[in-house]
Amino acid sequence: MDDYKFLFKVVLVGNAGVGKTCLVRRFTQGLFPPGQGATIGVDFMIKTVEVENEKVKLQIWDTAGQERFRSITQSYYRSAHALILVYDISCQPTFDCLPDWLREIEEYASTKVLRVLVGNKIDREDREIPTHVGEEFAERNNMYFLETSAKEAENVETLFIQIASDLIKQARNRDVPKYDGITSIDDRTTSVGETNCCSKIQ
Amino acid sequence: MPAKEKSLEEMQEDILAQLQQLKIEEELLQDEMNNILTQAPFLNEKIKNLKKLLPSLKIIENEAVDLVHTINDISESSEQISGKIRALDSARSRVDECQGRVCDLIDLEICSQGVQTAILDADYEKGAAHVHRFLSMDQFLLQKTATDVENVSNTLKSVRTLEDAASQLRSIVEHKFTEAVRNEDLVSIERFFKIFPLLGMHDVGIKEFCMYLRGKVAFAAEKNLKTAITTPLSDKRQSVIFADTLTLLFEGLAKVVDVHQPLVETYYGPGRLFTAVNILQKECDIQVRRIFNEWMKSRQITTKMQQINETNKMSANSSFGKLERIDPKDLDILIGEITLMHYRSELYVRFIHRKVLADIDVGIPDVKNRDDAMNSFSNSMKCSELAQLKHELLSHYLRLEQYFMEESINKAVAMDFVDSAQQTSSMVDDTFFIVKKCIRRSISTGNLDGICAIINTACGVLENDFCDVLRSKLKQGYPSGYLDLTQAYNVLQSSIQQGRLQSGDTEQSRTAFIVALNNADSCTEYVDALCESVLKEIEQALPGMNANEHGKLESCLSGLSSVTSNLKDIIDYGIQQLRSSVIKPRVNPWVDAFLNISHQFTEEELSVYEAGETFVQTLIMNLESLLSSFRDVLTESNFDAFVSALTTEVTQRLEKVILKSSFNGLGGLILDKEVRSLASYITAATSWSVRDKFARLTQIATVLNLEQVSEITDYWGSHDGALTWRLTPSELKSFMLLRTDFKSEDVKRLKL
Repeated sequence: MDDYKFLFKVVLVGNAGVGKTCLVRRFTQGLFPPGQGATIGVDFMIKTVEVENEKVKLQIWDTAGQERFRSITQSYYRSAHALILVYDISCQPTFDCLPDWLREIEEYASTKVLRVLVGNKIDREDREIPTHVGEEFAERNNMYFLETSAKEAENVETLFIQIASDLIKQARNRDVPKYDGITSIDDRTTSVGETNCCSKIQ
Repeated sequence: MPAKEKSLEEMQEDILAQLQQLKIEEELLQDEMNNILTQAPFLNEKIKNLKKLLPSLKIIENEAVDLVHTINDISESSEQISGKIRALDSARSRVDECQGRVCDLIDLEICSQGVQTAILDADYEKGAAHVHRFLSMDQFLLQKTATDVENVSNTLKSVRTLEDAASQLRSIVEHKFTEAVRNEDLVSIERFFKIFPLLGMHDVGIKEFCMYLRGKVAFAAEKNLKTAITTPLSDKRQSVIFADTLTLLFEGLAKVVDVHQPLVETYYGPGRLFTAVNILQKECDIQVRRIFNEWMKSRQITTKMQQINETNKMSANSSFGKLERIDPKDLDILIGEITLMHYRSELYVRFIHRKVLADIDVGIPDVKNRDDAMNSFSNSMKCSELAQLKHELLSHYLRLEQYFMEESINKAVAMDFVDSAQQTSSMVDDTFFIVKKCIRRSISTGNLDGICAIINTACGVLENDFCDVLRSKLKQGYPSGYLDLTQAYNVLQSSIQQGRLQSGDTEQSRTAFIVALNNADSCTEYVDALCESVLKEIEQALPGMNANEHGKLESCLSGLSSVTSNLKDIIDYGIQQLRSSVIKPRVNPWVDAFLNISHQFTEEELSVYEAGETFVQTLIMNLESLLSSFRDVLTESNFDAFVSALTTEVTQRLEKVILKSSFNGLGGLILDKEVRSLASYITAATSWSVRDKFARLTQIATVLNLEQVSEITDYWGSHDGALTWRLTPSELKSFMLLRTDFKSEDVKRLKL
């Protein structure tokens, strides 16, 4: 029924109210619906994009940030191809929680999962987390980094397209059997390569 | 002068003919004239008639002109009349209005007189009816009337009286209502409830009444909770006592709504259920929270959750510390109770939604207002404590269910046993029984997110833990009598270390391997069946799913197919193991026997060879003995995979030994025969097609069986008889060169 070459699952996580649903809505529907309630459980959206002349179907899982939905949302980590961890650049506590989120990702997600750190709401005047702080955190933890604004539609498209194109590369590499082992986070040598990609995404 | 005569004769004939012609014409003209003559009198008559008509036509014209005049007159006058009627109409409506105002005034008088007496007589219905009549009057007009009419003071006085009476009545009714509530005087409660809307106190009425109902609900709920707490442990409902209590609460509330909705609708009009439900929901929230707290306490949920968390952490770090692990069986009943509690809450929420939305639909005609009302109601329900508790219940449920599934499957694997009559072991049936049970139970929560989470968990457990077990069993290998000593020793050693085997028990570890392989195969079937049945059951349980929800569910279910592909990898791995440890070591010497035979037969030698046991007969016999030892122990598709691996091995090896031999014409003929009988033996042994695997070998035999070199052109090329070759031209030539009777220059000269 639909023709696409790749299907990827992308899961968004992060504290309640950082704008996960808005990012997804902006990307999938081009909307910024203000003042909507907290997400309940998990929302599910699909968008097909064309990257490098390939049709890619992105299955986007928008999870609820509230604690009481954790047991639902955690069950989606395992099969995710990419995880987007979102914080609010104007809200320090959402940044402070990142290590907890990473621990959860370590516990439940596949080791091969593509991890992206996103600082959302850069349209806001009252920034609390400077860009370089987010950048450093991402670098330390082997993640891509990007700052976005769902409201102003800044970097939202870039974020998802970049994820899609990276996953395509990953999938193509996997076709060639190659046992490159599992890279641990504190392995400095592997993180160099990752940070290169990091700068590329900006 | 015969010519002249002739011409004369001709002329005569001509003349006669013309005469004849003229005669006919004359006759025709005569006829026409006769006709015209007969018509003449008619025409004359008509002309005469017309002449007579002429004067009367003049008269008609004059009369027509008159008629036009008359009609014009009529239309003018009718227009005048309709104008008058219009004037009359407006006059009449003014009169009506006036009458209404007079009526209002009269009623005002009557009401103002009546209301006091009614109040004094405690006939509040009558009083309220008066006030209601008063309130239904246009207050602005009333004021205007008062200024128009001479006895101003009188009217204003009445208005004031009624306003006073209204406020008096309002406070009386409110007071009386509270009193009635205090006295539990049902009749009075209902009586005053009906009076409120007459006094324009719709909201107050609903609020007061619902407060009263709230009290009743609270009272009943408290009683029920107390009973629940004091229920003896031996009671047979004890295991679901909190679900029962919750059900009682919801049923009570639903009944309250059901009973009072018609009452509210009759006396207050539709569209007000929303307000009522909001008030009742507050009580519902309080009571639900209480029941929930008691449940948490009584079932020791917090402790259990902690224990589970710790177990999860421990098993992540080490396989030791199995102390104080909760037996999943002990959680079974509790999980059942939670699903029941969640399902009841879900049902109640759906019930209230349905009721209120239907009421709003009828009660608020304006589309925008209606949508606003619906949204605000949905939001208030979403933010309600009940919704929160539902989420918490679901969260607890999921934690427990996930633990239950993982632990039960661990147990099933640990308690695995092989029944020699079966091809698979108990853990497959047990595991899928557990998975199905858990998913079914999640369906009974009535929540799609919960169902999806459990499906995800099941995928995880099957794909990781369960497949790992199968894979590690296969990794131990299939001990074969043909292993070299060190290999055999290692296998044995590791088996002994695992403590599952007595030394020398290769038979048992062979069985373990085969069973694991069979388990993987039957799992693929189970997964497909599970997927299908689960989808059907969910569609039945949640009939109102929209496209998005369907997509969500299907995406989660598709996770099960990755389990299947994992299992297929495991089977492949196992078959490869068998290939290297069982097939290769045996097949190679059997096929190598080909080298011991000369393939350059004389006629005589040929008949001797064919009389004895041929190479292929021995090979088939050996293969049969190998296959028969696996035919019954492997599942059908595993056996097919085994045969396929065997075929690959045999054909490849045979190709190799052929290359090391040389043939004459008869030798080639025999080879062709032998390849055919080998292919037909293997084809009969399996349900899969092995044609493809024999393609190269068959072609090699064909090449070696040629009469002469040039004959190859019958098979090579682009004509109809040509084969689709699996051999490259150089391969083909090298096989041809094995024929000692072919000249190598001829072969090399071939253009392919």
